[in-house]
Amino acid sequence: MKKRKYPKDEIITFKSANEMPPLAVSLGSMRWNKTGSWRYIRPIYENKTPPCDEACPAGEDVEGVQYLCEQGKFEDAWKLILEEHPFPGVQGRVCYHPCEEACNRGHYDEAISIHAVERFVGDYGLNHGLIPPRLSQERGHKKSEKIAIIGAGPAGLVCAYHLARMGYTPLVLEAHPVPGGILRVGIPSYRLPKDILEAEIEHIIKMGVDIQTDSRVDRDLLLKDLKDFNAIYVATGAHESRNLNVPGEDASGVMSGLQFLIDLNLGKKIAIGKKVAVIGGGNTAMDTARSVLRLGSEVVVVYRRSRAEMPAIPAEVEEAEHEGIPIHFLATPIRVITDQERVVQMECVKMELGEPDESGRRRPVPVEGSNFIMDVETVFTAIGESPQLSFLTEDIQTEWGSIVVSDHGETSKKGIFAGGDAVDQPRTVAHAIGSGKVAAIAIDTFLRGKDTAKIAASVQIGQKGSVSMERYLRGEIRYNASKVVRFEDINLAYFEHKDRVDLPRADIEKAKQSFVEVNSGLPESAVTTESGRCFNCGVCNMCENCWVFCPDISISRKTDAFGYDIDYDHCKGCGICVEECPREAMSLEEEQK
Amino acid sequence: MRFQIPEHELMGPGHVACPGCGAAQAMRYVLKALGEKTIVVLPACCWSIIAGPFPYSSLQVPLYHTAFETAGAAASGIKAGLEIQGDTDTTVLAWAGDGGTFDIGIQALSGAAERNDDILYVCYDNEAYMNTGIQRSSATPWGAWTTTTPVRHFKNRPKKDIMMVMAAHKIPYAATATVAFPDDLVAKVQKAKTIHGTRFLHILSPCPPGWKIPSEIAIRLARLAIETKIFPLYEIENGEKYTITRQPDGVPVIEYLKFQGRFKHLTKSQMDDIQDMVEKEWENLLSKTERSH
Amino acid sequence: MKKVITGNYAVSYGAMVSRSQVIAAYPITPQTQIVELLSEFCADGLLDAKFIKVESEHSAMASCIGASATGARAFTATSAHGLALMHELLHWAALGRLPIVLANVNRAMGPGWSIWTDQNDSLSQRDTGWLQFYCESNQEILDTIIQGFKISEQILLPTMLVLDAFFLSHTSEPVDIPDIEVVDTYLPKYNATYRLSTENPYAFGGLTGPDHYFEIRYKMQETMDQAIEIARQADEEFERIFGRSHGLIERYYSDDAELILVVSGSIASTTRDVVDQLRSEGRNVGMLKVRMFRPFPRQEFRNAVRRAKKVAVIDRNICVGFGGIFYQEITSTMYGHRDDLPIFGFIAGLGGRDVTPNVIHEIVTHAETHDTPDTEIIWIGVKR
Repeated sequence: MKKRKYPKDEIITFKSANEMPPLAVSLGSMRWNKTGSWRYIRPIYENKTPPCDEACPAGEDVEGVQYLCEQGKFEDAWKLILEEHPFPGVQGRVCYHPCEEACNRGHYDEAISIHAVERFVGDYGLNHGLIPPRLSQERGHKKSEKIAIIGAGPAGLVCAYHLARMGYTPLVLEAHPVPGGILRVGIPSYRLPKDILEAEIEHIIKMGVDIQTDSRVDRDLLLKDLKDFNAIYVATGAHESRNLNVPGEDASGVMSGLQFLIDLNLGKKIAIGKKVAVIGGGNTAMDTARSVLRLGSEVVVVYRRSRAEMPAIPAEVEEAEHEGIPIHFLATPIRVITDQERVVQMECVKMELGEPDESGRRRPVPVEGSNFIMDVETVFTAIGESPQLSFLTEDIQTEWGSIVVSDHGETSKKGIFAGGDAVDQPRTVAHAIGSGKVAAIAIDTFLRGKDTAKIAASVQIGQKGSVSMERYLRGEIRYNASKVVRFEDINLAYFEHKDRVDLPRADIEKAKQSFVEVNSGLPESAVTTESGRCFNCGVCNMCENCWVFCPDISISRKTDAFGYDIDYDHCKGCGICVEECPREAMSLEEEQK
Repeated sequence: MRFQIPEHELMGPGHVACPGCGAAQAMRYVLKALGEKTIVVLPACCWSIIAGPFPYSSLQVPLYHTAFETAGAAASGIKAGLEIQGDTDTTVLAWAGDGGTFDIGIQALSGAAERNDDILYVCYDNEAYMNTGIQRSSATPWGAWTTTTPVRHFKNRPKKDIMMVMAAHKIPYAATATVAFPDDLVAKVQKAKTIHGTRFLHILSPCPPGWKIPSEIAIRLARLAIETKIFPLYEIENGEKYTITRQPDGVPVIEYLKFQGRFKHLTKSQMDDIQDMVEKEWENLLSKTERSH
Repeated sequence: MKKVITGNYAVSYGAMVSRSQVIAAYPITPQTQIVELLSEFCADGLLDAKFIKVESEHSAMASCIGASATGARAFTATSAHGLALMHELLHWAALGRLPIVLANVNRAMGPGWSIWTDQNDSLSQRDTGWLQFYCESNQEILDTIIQGFKISEQILLPTMLVLDAFFLSHTSEPVDIPDIEVVDTYLPKYNATYRLSTENPYAFGGLTGPDHYFEIRYKMQETMDQAIEIARQADEEFERIFGRSHGLIERYYSDDAELILVVSGSIASTTRDVVDQLRSEGRNVGMLKVRMFRPFPRQEFRNAVRRAKKVAVIDRNICVGFGGIFYQEITSTMYGHRDDLPIFGFIAGLGGRDVTPNVIHEIVTHAETHDTPDTEIIWIGVKR
């Protein structure tokens, strides 16, 4: 082969017949013909927000994690999570994973096992001794402002983690003898082993975060010791159990479920009866009931609404039932019956669901004459917790027992920020993490004198309030963040049905006898397979479809970066690339004339 | 899933196919599969225009424009000319539309096929005379509107079964393909390339203006043509051995018809009739497949 | 090597000694023996060629076009309806500038079916851009094939040589078949300038707009003009090597003739005898045999009739609605050059009707006894 290609890509002109060949023969290519002028719509590469990312209150790049795991790049996946928060091992165990609810694949066959994949990634990071990703010297240079964080729960620690990455040296004050907040003292170890939590907190400490335990903050300390701090983040959680408000509740056998869990987690001896009732339908109720079971007592859960209204993570409810814990739905205690100040029975009344209340759930109404009596020796209340805010000064506004904050975690007092369960938001670890990130951004912008609102808006993921720390710190715009990919946007022709890989079912008989972690994780091969099921909604993964289907040879791979270039000189705007993109990572724009 | 089509481009941008042209995609895939040692023979068809005017060409392989009805014969002559001069490994690719294959060119094609001349004949089928402005051909399906089969008198004869015609010639290889399944298409071309004798490939190529569809759904329709069993993907070896290369999902034909302006006049019962015809043809194909294995 | 062979076999031998590489042909009476003998040559290995047994003349020419485009020497033969079927592709071959050689056995067009000679089939292809040679003898047939390739491959235009059905195709004559190695010295391997090969991504014959088509036609005509001189040189070179030539227009006692008969094909042989006889009677008659009809050697013709008093054109063809086709060509050639020269147009021998010496005599007598033609078409031998 000598000259494969035409020497000319330009228009060829002949001045006379003499210059012409004797017959119609080609002497050049058609490249000169700029067919791009035919176009009235223009295809563009435009990554969008996957619904999982939008649904993640912690603002994880869920899709990105799946993308990396599919290729076996677990270290990169771990680091990608660590861009957002330091708790993949924790979240891979305790998160209520709304991402899976939102997962578009769920409309096709089954959602991706995002939660199980995260756990694998978290464990992978810990097992391989990975170090959290550092920021550039420029972005993370040492900063002198003093920041105090009250509460070493997930919100406080996440806030501290990011502030430390940014170069601050935050001081974290924790009332309990150990850091971790609810993660450490609220969640039993069969759900979240202590070593996992401690190892992940260790990462934060190593970044230069000073955590002072046994340091309960009162108003005095707040006013004096923290007076000269440039910013304070209040993340003290919600540890006050609500009362049942029924006669007999002061008896010695009636206790707070949460306090029981705290004591248990701090290794204290707790005396409980052989027959135990747990009142409530949230995670605290489930954790309490399952812990009681493990201490060898008989336990029953009493919940005033039906299963559908239970605030607990469904998987937790399922596991509790699987362990043999009965749940009395639509019942509520109206009286605790004592004998010599000891609880012996509890009178309940059956309920039925009436009109929806302000929470949108149907309000339970007592059924007259349906009273019944249960024999119990211990009653644990787990009907909700409230923040303890008496240490706050009056200039920090509260409402309904929670601190009032702006969307950016700013309280009514300048320089004071709040988040986690102490503010009015869903009481989940994921939300606590998310609020810690929001606060870190707000504190940094506040201290650097930047427009917090504007910057916060630019790092939103979708419409539900999640923020991307990666975008804030690294300026990487991976998304048209406001557009969230719907199931209808996915081109299903490119996906084959495939079963979801779930966590292996634990041996319940064995599990319910100890506080050892119930579930084992996924093996590596299952993780890559499972991540491979991901639609990668809205995010180009260079599947090549656009390049393959372009009839006009106008799409080429970038030579120096991820992704493709479109040759707009020749692209006719047929739209096939956008239509055949399996994942809505391309868009059509009207051509500007 | 990812397509695995060859990297090398032998077709360049600037060609003058309409936006979303299936015939342009088909050429791109076939040339990728065949490589540089290919000579294209082009009778009158859309590609006579797409390839570009004198003194240009949008292909990086040689190409000979020939008269409408001559693809088979001209390809035979080119192959003979090359061979007598010692070039035995160049693939001569006759590239004709449905008019040039089913209608005016069928004689020369039949001649070449009967002689088993060593050519690869590709019919890119857009189901009407599109280049002249959408006139009916014998490849136009039953029920379709064209400018010569107006809706008051739409085409009331079934599409000619060209694959059966080719099978009757006992040629070593005949296959159907479409642009929505580039892997399948490329694999068939690569397989055909290794075989000597007349090889025939029937590629369904959506035509946005002719089918009256928005250009962006061209691939979707090609896919639906397969999934509805309207255009099954299969191979016939030596006129006898039938192999179905993709099991259709069995989507109802209405899902294919409803997007296309050329079918929009059809009533529900007419669409049912089409469904019946499709089922019958599919059964035929299945029984041929079963018999030959 | 001298052999007594028919005109058809002379064609086959001509194609063989020219080392035709691709032959694509379809049988038609009276051409069939050409194809048969060539098949045998190929089968016996006497000729290293690909013989494509096509399913029609149309495909025959299409295959020749394809083969020639690759730079191979392509040959075909046909007749009458077969040639008519090729018509579209005759244009294609010429505009494609392909040096194909085609032997056409002149046969009348149907219906009613005729297998006998006249020239309407080949003359209908006059405007396709092919060179046309009308042959008188089997030797001339063979020689014209060799010369045809020689000329065509220099100018990149195809050549059609024409022989009369039966009078030549099926009539045996002694023919000198030159040694193939000697022919090689006259006719070297064809080396195409624009060749269809994977070495260059040439596209041949793409859409050609008004900006370019005109010039492509212009260049064709320019080449045709040069073809006359190239054909003359080819004939001269042929003579040097093979010891015989045929000329473009053969002059036979024409230089001093008062009446010149203008003929073509096998009629020339009959006319030659009649001229001999008339000359012996002292009648001042000569003959011009038009061998090369396209391009028409106008100047040579004008020179040849410079001293004539009358010209009689014998046409074994008719352009219905106008008259003899050679007659038209010659009147147009002479227009403005010798307006004093009466030109008679005779139609004779259509559909294979024998043009006997008597017919030629009748023509001579008619021309001698009329100062000028009464009509544009003078029918000879028609039963009225």
